Amino acid sequence: MAAKDSGALEAFYDRYHRLAFTMVLRIVRIRQDAEDVLSDVFWQAWQQASRYDASRGKPIAWLLTIARTRAIDAVRSGSRRATDTEFDNTTAVQPAERGNDPFVLAGLQRAVRQCLEKLAEPQRVALEMAYFEGMSQTEIAKALNQPLGTMKDRIRSGMMHLRKCLKPYEAPL
Amino acid sequence: MKHQQLTEELQERALLYAAGALDEQEHAEYSRHLAEDDCAVCKAEALESEAAAVSMAMLLPQQTPSASVKRQLMARVGVRDEPRRTSFGWTAWFGWAAAAAAAVLAVVLLNWNSGLREEVQSLNARVAELESQVGEQQTRLAVLMDPATRTVNLAGLGSTPQARGRIYWNEPARQWQVSVIDLPAVPADRTYELWFVPAAGNPVRAEIFNTDANGSAMFTLPVPPQIGVLKAAAVTIEPAGGSDLPTTTAFNLLGTME
Repeated sequence: MAAKDSGALEAFYDRYHRLAFTMVLRIVRIRQDAEDVLSDVFWQAWQQASRYDASRGKPIAWLLTIARTRAIDAVRSGSRRATDTEFDNTTAVQPAERGNDPFVLAGLQRAVRQCLEKLAEPQRVALEMAYFEGMSQTEIAKALNQPLGTMKDRIRSGMMHLRKCLKPYEAPL
Repeated sequence: MKHQQLTEELQERALLYAAGALDEQEHAEYSRHLAEDDCAVCKAEALESEAAAVSMAMLLPQQTPSASVKRQLMARVGVRDEPRRTSFGWTAWFGWAAAAAAAVLAVVLLNWNSGLREEVQSLNARVAELESQVGEQQTRLAVLMDPATRTVNLAGLGSTPQARGRIYWNEPARQWQVSVIDLPAVPADRTYELWFVPAAGNPVRAEIFNTDANGSAMFTLPVPPQIGVLKAAAVTIEPAGGSDLPTTTAFNLLGTME
């Protein structure tokens, strides 16, 4: 992609668009808005491919970071976020994630699920509010009427647990 | 400033950064530090934390965008599905009559080509629409098939005893898929409102909706992480736009979490 090969962009899109869209739709919640953001995410990846630094993580982690940032920006910039959601449910790993062995992905998904399930509920809530709702520790503390220190500790310990728990899988993403 | 060794404070900052929990100014400063200070200690810490945070996305039920997103993206980078051009290889000259015939033929073929192009565009749009519908149906079906999904039945009460509903609740994904039948549509100045009823505290607004001419409605909604333990779900009739708290105790649908 760094060489501006549109075929590479197409392959990159085919491989990761579902995961990126899943992340964006979870945050934006409106399917049409999420599709607009998704297009911008891959456009940004295309534009910034030459600046991608492999030592800073795998391409999918880089892409999902862009996806999360753009989705949160879209919500904060006033894009409509409905009280209803168009985020549908399925826990199935799509075999169409070409290039990724679905059995490997399913195994990783199980590992992540088990790691998250071991989190205490307050930690998980705080993590989800930060990561998927784009709320800062101060905002979360205020929303949950908890001291900032408590909230910081929940997020820190929750993240630390995830890191340790996922360590054997060598950072699945 | 480069750090020589990892401290608890640096580790905490990396973890909060990766979770997206730093306040705006802290986030900007830490992002700058990672980008400009060439601090291997913090880069490594942030990288490992980011990988853990991003992995949370793996648990989300996968969604499929419509095919038009890819087409628009590829068009944006300059790759277009050009329609095949029809080539007229007339090289011989057969006089005025032949030229006139060729002109007529060209007009006919161009019109035909134009018609075909419109038809292809129309069919492409239809295919994209159907792909999107199939994707949505597949994800709905997957909810029903998911062992993690539990079912909550809603029973009609009050003025709508015949009404029925069902909530497919995927707790790990914090999602409700709601289906309602035999619930008469309300006029434009009213709305149905679905409520989360927590074990403690007031009902929390979940969704407003109306039913179609058949008395049916189907929608999905997230269950907010801070909602806590739920004891029931209820539907009331509220003024258009919905209410922050129920204005009536006359439930139209009620279901308890068992």
